[in-house]
Amino acid sequence: MGIELLSGVLLLCILVSFALGAPVGFALGGIAMAVGYATWGEGIFNILPNTFEATLFSFILLAIPLYIYMGQLLTRSGIGDAMFNASQLVIGKVRGSLAISVIGVCSMIGAMVGIIGAGIMTSGSIALKPMLDRGYDKRLALGVIMAGGGLGILIPPSVPMIMFAASTQNSVGKMFIAALFPALLAIIVMVAYILISCKMNPDRAPLGTGAEAKMTPKEKARTLRDGFMSVLLIFAVLGSIISGIATPTESGAIGVVGAIILAFFFKRFRLGMFRMAGMETAMLVSVAMWIILGATLFSNFHLLMGVQDMIAGFTKDLGLPPLGVIILMQLVMLGLGFIIDEFIIVLMCAPLFTPIVVDLGFDPIWFGILMILNIEIAVQTPPYGFALFYLKGIAPPDVTMLDIYKSVTPFILLKLMVLVICMLNPDLVMWLPNKVMG
Amino acid sequence: MVKKIFISYCSWIDRLVRFIGKSVSVLMPLLAIVIAYEVGSRYLFNQPTIWAQDLALFFFAYLVGLGGAYAYQKKTHINVDILYLAVSPKTKRIFDVLTGILAAFFMFVLMMIAYEKFGEALQFNYRKMSNWAPHTHHFWMMLVISGALITLQISSNMVKDIYYVIAGQALISEPEEEDTEDGN
Amino acid sequence: AEHNWRFANLYSRGTAFGEVYGNMAENIEKMSGGRISVKMMYAGEGVSTTGILGAVKSGLITMGAHFQPMNAGELPAGIVEVGLPGGTADVAKLSVLFHEDGWNEVLTRAYGEQGLVYLDPYIQPPVYLLTKKPINSVADFEGLKLRAPGAYGKFVRNLGASPVSMTWSEIYTGLATGVIDGSIGSNLIDHRDGNHVEVAKYMYRLPLAGAQVLPVVVNQKAWNKLPDDLKAIVKAATTIHAREQMTKSRLWEAEAIADMEAKGMKWSPEPSEADKAAWKKAGESLWDEYAKADKFSAELIEILKKQQ
Ligand code: NA
Ligand code: NA
Repeated sequence: MGIELLSGVLLLCILVSFALGAPVGFALGGIAMAVGYATWGEGIFNILPNTFEATLFSFILLAIPLYIYMGQLLTRSGIGDAMFNASQLVIGKVRGSLAISVIGVCSMIGAMVGIIGAGIMTSGSIALKPMLDRGYDKRLALGVIMAGGGLGILIPPSVPMIMFAASTQNSVGKMFIAALFPALLAIIVMVAYILISCKMNPDRAPLGTGAEAKMTPKEKARTLRDGFMSVLLIFAVLGSIISGIATPTESGAIGVVGAIILAFFFKRFRLGMFRMAGMETAMLVSVAMWIILGATLFSNFHLLMGVQDMIAGFTKDLGLPPLGVIILMQLVMLGLGFIIDEFIIVLMCAPLFTPIVVDLGFDPIWFGILMILNIEIAVQTPPYGFALFYLKGIAPPDVTMLDIYKSVTPFILLKLMVLVICMLNPDLVMWLPNKVMG
Repeated sequence: MVKKIFISYCSWIDRLVRFIGKSVSVLMPLLAIVIAYEVGSRYLFNQPTIWAQDLALFFFAYLVGLGGAYAYQKKTHINVDILYLAVSPKTKRIFDVLTGILAAFFMFVLMMIAYEKFGEALQFNYRKMSNWAPHTHHFWMMLVISGALITLQISSNMVKDIYYVIAGQALISEPEEEDTEDGN
Repeated sequence: AEHNWRFANLYSRGTAFGEVYGNMAENIEKMSGGRISVKMMYAGEGVSTTGILGAVKSGLITMGAHFQPMNAGELPAGIVEVGLPGGTADVAKLSVLFHEDGWNEVLTRAYGEQGLVYLDPYIQPPVYLLTKKPINSVADFEGLKLRAPGAYGKFVRNLGASPVSMTWSEIYTGLATGVIDGSIGSNLIDHRDGNHVEVAKYMYRLPLAGAQVLPVVVNQKAWNKLPDDLKAIVKAATTIHAREQMTKSRLWEAEAIADMEAKGMKWSPEPSEADKAAWKKAGESLWDEYAKADKFSAELIEILKKQQ
C-alpha cells in the first residue's frame, strides 16, 4: 500500500471511530495497531515499548501533572477565586473584565510553562470555573482558556522554540526575544476581541452580581489582600525559574508546595480537599497521557511508513514566489497538526523547511516564530487537536465537543490574523531581537 | 440467575478498578514532593540527588497506567461526542461496544508486548541509564496490569451495554456510588 | 527490493550528521544494485533516540546507529565501548584495541547475546564540558552543579562537582538561569547546536574521553536472511561510512569551534600538569567500578588495561 493510500485509510478510520464516540487515545492506539497489523504484520507491535517508555519517561511532560496539581489545589482551596475576586473589585465595572484578567493569568502561566498541554490544563483548572460561576457565556470562557493557554509555547520559556533553534542552529535567546512582540500582539488582539464582543453581546459577560459593591471596606481590603497573596504565588514560581532555583518543569512542584502553604495561610486546608485535588489531578493526567500515548503510537506508525517523505518531496521545485512558498509551508504545518503533536512538527519541519526559507532570503528566526504561531493554531483546529482534547478534559461534563469546536473558532481566526501580520511584516518580529542581540 | 452472575461480575470489576484508581492518586502528592525535595536539596544544600528524576518518572508512569481503567469506568476519557450525543441510548450502547472492541484490541497488544519486555528486562537485568540505575522490569509488569485492568473494565462495560441492548433496561440501576466530598 | 530495511539514527533530517547516515543508506542500495532498499529514519521519525537499540533488537528497525550512553541500562558494555572518561584520543591505538586486541570480538558477543549483529565501529569527536565561569584549576570544579549523565556524572563527582540529571531541552534554560553551572554535551557540535555558548562561555580544554566510538548494529534475523555477498556489501558500506564520519566530523568539530568562538566562547586556561593528572585519575578510578557492572565490561576493561 502506498503512503498516500495508507494515509487516506488512517484518516478514514479516525473519522469513523471519532463519529462513534470512541475514547480518542484508545482509538488512535487501536487503529495504529490494527492497520499496522494488516499492512506490516505482527512486527509492528514492537512499536509499543519504545513509544510507552519515551512518553512515560519524558521529564518535560512532568510539567503536566505538576502544574495541573497546582491549579487544582488553588481552585479547590478557593485561592484561585481570591485572585479573580480581587481583580473584579478593581476592574469589575468593565464588561468582559474577568475574561481579561484570565488572559492576564494565562500570560503569567505561559511564562512559567513551556509546553501546550501544561498551559491549557493549568489555565483551565484555575480560570474556567470563576468565569462559568459568574455566568459568562460558555463558549467565550472556553475560547479564552484555549487561546490564553496556548501562550505557554509563545511566551518564553518554550520547549518547541528550544527544539527549533537546536535543529536549525539558531539562537534560542534571540528566538525567545523575537517571540515577545508576537505574544504581546496576540494578547492585545485577544483583549480587544473580548472587549468588542462583550460590548456587542452584553449577555456573554454579565457585569457581576453586585456582590463587590455590597462589600464593607474591611471585606474589600481582605479580598484585595487574598488576591495579592495568590498573585504573589505566581510570581514566586516565576521567580524560582528566573533566579535559577528550579527548571521550568520543576517549578511546578514549587507551585504545588506554595499552593499548600497558601491554603494553610487562608485556613482553607482540609484533608478532603487535598485528597480530592490529588484524585482529580490523577484522573486528568491519566486521561491526557493516554491521549498522548495513543496519538504518539499512531504518528510513530505513520512515520515508520514514510509520511515524512511525502512532505520532504513536495517542497522541491514548486516554482512559487518566495512568499507563496512560506504560505504553502504554513498550510502543510496546519495540516500536520491534524495528526502529529507539536514536538514532532518542529522536529520534522524545522530542518526541512528552514534551509529553503533561508535560501529565499528570509530570516530563520522569523520563520521559527511563524512555525510556533502556526502549531499553536494547528493543535487547536477541529476536528483533531491535542489542545481541544485537553480543554475537553478540564471542562465540566456538560460541555460537549461541539461547544469546544465552536468556542475556539473566533480565537483561531485571531491567531491566524497574528500569524499573517507577522508573516507580512518580518520587521515586527525581528526589530527587538536585532536591537538586543545584533 | 444469569443476570445475577452478570451483576456480580460487573460490580466486582468496578469495585476493583475503583479501588486501584483511587489508590494510585496518592502518587500525585508524592510526585510533587520528590521534585520539590530535589530542588531544595540541590539549591539549598548543593546536593542534587541521583534518584529524584527517575523516581518521579516512575510515579508518573504508574499514575497514568494504573489510573487509566478508573478513568474508563468514569467515562472521563475524551471523545468527540458530536454524533454520539445525537443518537438513541440503545445506539450509544452499540457504539460503545464497537469502540470497546478497538480499545480492547489495543490493550491486548499492550499486555502481550509489555509481558515480553518484562521477561527481557529480567533476563538482561535492564535498568535506567542514570547513575541510580533502578530496575525497569516492574514498569513493564505495571503496564501488563494496567492493560489487564482496562480490559476488565471494558468487558464490564460491554456486559452492561449488551444487556441493555437486549433487555432494554440497565443491568445495574444507576446511580452508582459517587464522591461528593470536596472539603469545602 | 529483495530486502527492505529501515535504518534509524539520532540526527534530524537535513542536518550534516544526518546526511552522513543517509549516504550510508544510499551506498548500501547502490552497492547492492538495489537488492537492499534502505529507508532512512531521522530523529523523531517513528522511534525516539533512546529507543533505537530496542527497536533494532525487536526488528521494528532493521539497522540502527544508537548512542550507547542512552542505553547504558540495557547494554552496559556499550558505555565502556564508547569510551570511559580517561580513555585515549589516539586513533591508531583505538584501532588496535578494536581490531587486534579483541574488543570487536567481545562486543560482537555482547550485542549478539541480545539479538544484534555488531558491524564495524566508527569514531566521533570527544565529549567536552562547558561552564559558566572559567575553570582555572581542577579545584574550581568543587561544588559546581554540572549536568552530566551516567558515567560522566560519576567522573565529575570524582572531581568534587555535583552531577545534576537534566533533560536535554532544559539545559539552555538551566544554564541561563543558573540551575546548573555547566554541562557536558555529546560533542562540541552538540554544544554549538544547543546554543549553550549564549549562556555559558567557558569550554574546558580537556575532553572527558579522548574520542567516542559508536557502532552500527543490525537485527540478527534480518542479517541472517542476507546471502553472503550482500553481507559483504553491507560491511563494505559500513567501512566507507566510518571513514566519512572520521573526516567529516573532524571538519565539523573545527567549524563548530569557530562558530562558537564567533559567538563569544572562550577556552578555560590551559590546565597544569597536576590538573591533567587529577583529571586522568578521576577517570581511571571508574574503570574498576564499570568492570564490576557486567561480564562483558569486565572483559573489555581487562584488555584495555593490558594495552596500557
Ligand atoms: Na512559556
Ligand atoms: Na488540528
